[in-house]
Amino acid sequence: MIISRQKEFDEILQLLTEKNIFVIGCGKCAKKQHTGGEPEVLDLKEKLKAAGKNITGWTVLSSTCSIISWGDVLAQNPAIRKSDALLIMSCGGGVSVISRYAGMSVYPALDTESLGGVCCNEIVTQLCGMCGDCTVWQYGGICPITQCPKSLLNGPCGGAVEGKCEVDERLCAWDLIFERLKQLGKLENLETIHEPKDHTKKFRGNKV
Amino acid sequence: MSFVCALSCGKFIVTAEISPPKGTDTSRMNRDADLLKGIVDAVNVTDNQRAVMRMSPLAACSLIQGKGIETIMHITCRDRNRLALQSDIIGAYAIGIRNLLVMSGDHPIKGDHEGAKPVYDVDSVQLLGILRKLNEGVDFAGNDLAGRTDLYVGAVTNTELNEAGFIKLKKKIQMGASFFQTQAVFDAKNFSGFMEKVNRIRSKNVKIIAGIIPLKSQRSAEFLNKVPGIKVPEDIVRNMNDSKNSEAQGMEIAARIIKEIRPMCDGIHIMPVGNHDNTKTILEMADLI
Repeated sequence: MIISRQKEFDEILQLLTEKNIFVIGCGKCAKKQHTGGEPEVLDLKEKLKAAGKNITGWTVLSSTCSIISWGDVLAQNPAIRKSDALLIMSCGGGVSVISRYAGMSVYPALDTESLGGVCCNEIVTQLCGMCGDCTVWQYGGICPITQCPKSLLNGPCGGAVEGKCEVDERLCAWDLIFERLKQLGKLENLETIHEPKDHTKKFRGNKV
Repeated sequence: MSFVCALSCGKFIVTAEISPPKGTDTSRMNRDADLLKGIVDAVNVTDNQRAVMRMSPLAACSLIQGKGIETIMHITCRDRNRLALQSDIIGAYAIGIRNLLVMSGDHPIKGDHEGAKPVYDVDSVQLLGILRKLNEGVDFAGNDLAGRTDLYVGAVTNTELNEAGFIKLKKKIQMGASFFQTQAVFDAKNFSGFMEKVNRIRSKNVKIIAGIIPLKSQRSAEFLNKVPGIKVPEDIVRNMNDSKNSEAQGMEIAARIIKEIRPMCDGIHIMPVGNHDNTKTILEMADLI
């Protein structure tokens, strides 16, 4: 799941220089996190109206990042043709897909934070750094690329105080990795010396 | 005698830390360097420490070495990717820097440029591996260098390590760290426990230099207790509080700790709060000069 959060309303208002706005929510990740499902779309619509914008219409696509075609979206939502701009309540992936095909001004209403997950209504953030070279099994399923703010692959820095990361209130990822590997009976994984990442894998795929 | 020779022939080493200036005015840095000349084996020069932007340690080392003082250049993984790290290291060697101290570096969020991109392309263990290659005459990508480096390379450690931290210390030794500079020591008994653990895994060629921060006030003691890896014991905080002259008290405490830990390690490293006005006196009080 893509983790997102709503932009401040004032920021959204500043982005929108156009008058006639169509709002698009997303029925996948943003809906689950209550950042871009129907209630949030309706709420934002009312706020924009109150701020003097003309809301030509709204919809919640089943998945903003995965549409059949722009023609299909237009057919379902003819009011888009009477709009000057689209305001998208989805992750950057959804905003980019719409921007690519819509041929009109498209603005994000959310900020995209990380790749996470959800289970039993618990939203977990920053699970995967999308490095293109997954080695998460070596760390007991806890990815140091994102869980450690320094992306350290060979063990903790000296910055944690009483188990808390130096960056914020989060627990030191390396304590979590240690505990998980201990539980799995694989503490020997910690002894492996990991080479620096090959960053070509992120954008070029695996070398043939 | 060079820093590496002194350490390898068993001399008890004294190093001290200098911060490059925030700006182009080098007068305070030069003053500190002059205070240290002749009383320390080498001067450590920090690399944007606490993620606060300052003059490049490469430039600062060059200026300090111009005074005839050997330096240990700090190099963090925070601000440079593998290209920039290697080019700075080669440059450092070319201008006469012979010792490096490798560390991850405080996260940018701790400093004065919070929004800076944290680089950490490589970590300290990996940077040690790169340095080993540069010393062998090849770069990280395996290309031959026209002239290799011959750097004496160290790393840092806290003295109170959890198991994961201790494994990382072992990895640093495996990757060629020849010396370790520790976080500030205030408790000789705890330090002795740390040394016992380290002695089990180090060869005699891996040297341990203990960090010393002379306290200046009760407030500085309380502040340091919030710094990662530092624990100032209650009785020291109380001593600082009860003392009429807290600066003198801090110097006495520093000298006492140095004397207590001297038989256990290979040297000490003075990291003062502020300037080096008191460093010579502390070393005299500790019978080191």
